[in-house]
Amino acid sequence: MAGRSQLPVQIMENQTRFSLNAAVESWRNELAAQPNLAPDDRRELETHLRDAIAGFQQRGLNDEESFWLARRRVGQPQQLGDEFVKADPAKASRERIFWMALGIIVFWELTQILTFAVGIALYYLFPSLHELYIKSGFWPTDAVVLIIGIALAGGWFAQSMKLMWFLKNRFHLVSLVVILALLLSLTQTEFARESFVLNGHHPSVVTWAWAPWLENVRYFLLVYLAHIVAPLIFLVLFFPAQNQKAPKRA
Amino acid sequence: MYKTTMLTKDLVAASSKPLLLSILAGGESYGYEIIQKVRELSGGQIEWSDGMLYPVLHRLERDGLIDSEWKEVDTGRERKYYFISSDGRKALKTERRQWLAVHNSLCKLWKIKPVSA
Repeated sequence: MAGRSQLPVQIMENQTRFSLNAAVESWRNELAAQPNLAPDDRRELETHLRDAIAGFQQRGLNDEESFWLARRRVGQPQQLGDEFVKADPAKASRERIFWMALGIIVFWELTQILTFAVGIALYYLFPSLHELYIKSGFWPTDAVVLIIGIALAGGWFAQSMKLMWFLKNRFHLVSLVVILALLLSLTQTEFARESFVLNGHHPSVVTWAWAPWLENVRYFLLVYLAHIVAPLIFLVLFFPAQNQKAPKRA
Repeated sequence: MYKTTMLTKDLVAASSKPLLLSILAGGESYGYEIIQKVRELSGGQIEWSDGMLYPVLHRLERDGLIDSEWKEVDTGRERKYYFISSDGRKALKTERRQWLAVHNSLCKLWKIKPVSA
């Protein structure tokens, strides 16, 4: 059989196939899936892993052996997450609230901006829709926004790994929220007022005619809470959580 | 062959604070180096799990006993260095008194020469 003579070649292939960088990368992704580890914790654990790998390499072990020993020594990502929570439960929930609040605020702001943009676009692109609305009360803004939103969310999810650079800095994220809030208040005031004056209705407000009080509640929640109060609370409460204090030596 | 006697979990937890403060009192250090140092000092009897060290360090930092700083080292990589604060030095003095009190009591019971505080 030719199998025996091929064996050394296969072993060599296996050795060259192991890429240290790829292994560390996949370990990093595993760690990133732990909700309890802050980016700074993960960065610190990664430097530890790299130091441990270098230590084993100096003792003459190859890349693969060094990686697996170092990985074992640092600990299972799941266990690490649990240990970090035990040490500081408040920090873990603070992190969780930060991401949840960020998600909700960005989602609201984006859908609102989209709603106004799509409403205005539909209004000018398809004048017949306006007649349809007057007759039937149907206005397709919400449906179109939902479709665009789902498409964007899908695209975001697919690209999220590539967008990681953006998540490194909390300052960028908060800036994004504030920019979106400003953009949103512009669309709220200028476009909406113009449209209201010209056409007698708000381009996005059409489907709630059966419950005007609900529309008022929604309007209050979105305009005052989502656009002004929430980003402010967000800034004040969560931004200082990042450890940026100047070190003082003893 | 010799038999290594490992510390119990409780003793590891209790001794981590004075050990870390004492190591950092001797100069700034980072996680990997600290673990190596502890292993070396104890002759392998104190074996800290690598991932568990960081929660302990972070707790000491939160209590204001140590501070940390990311620093670039000559290889171009970055490491998080820890160093002791003035509160940490005070806490270390207290720890030292307490550990020596326990140590000396045991020494008297076991008829071993005690260490001066």
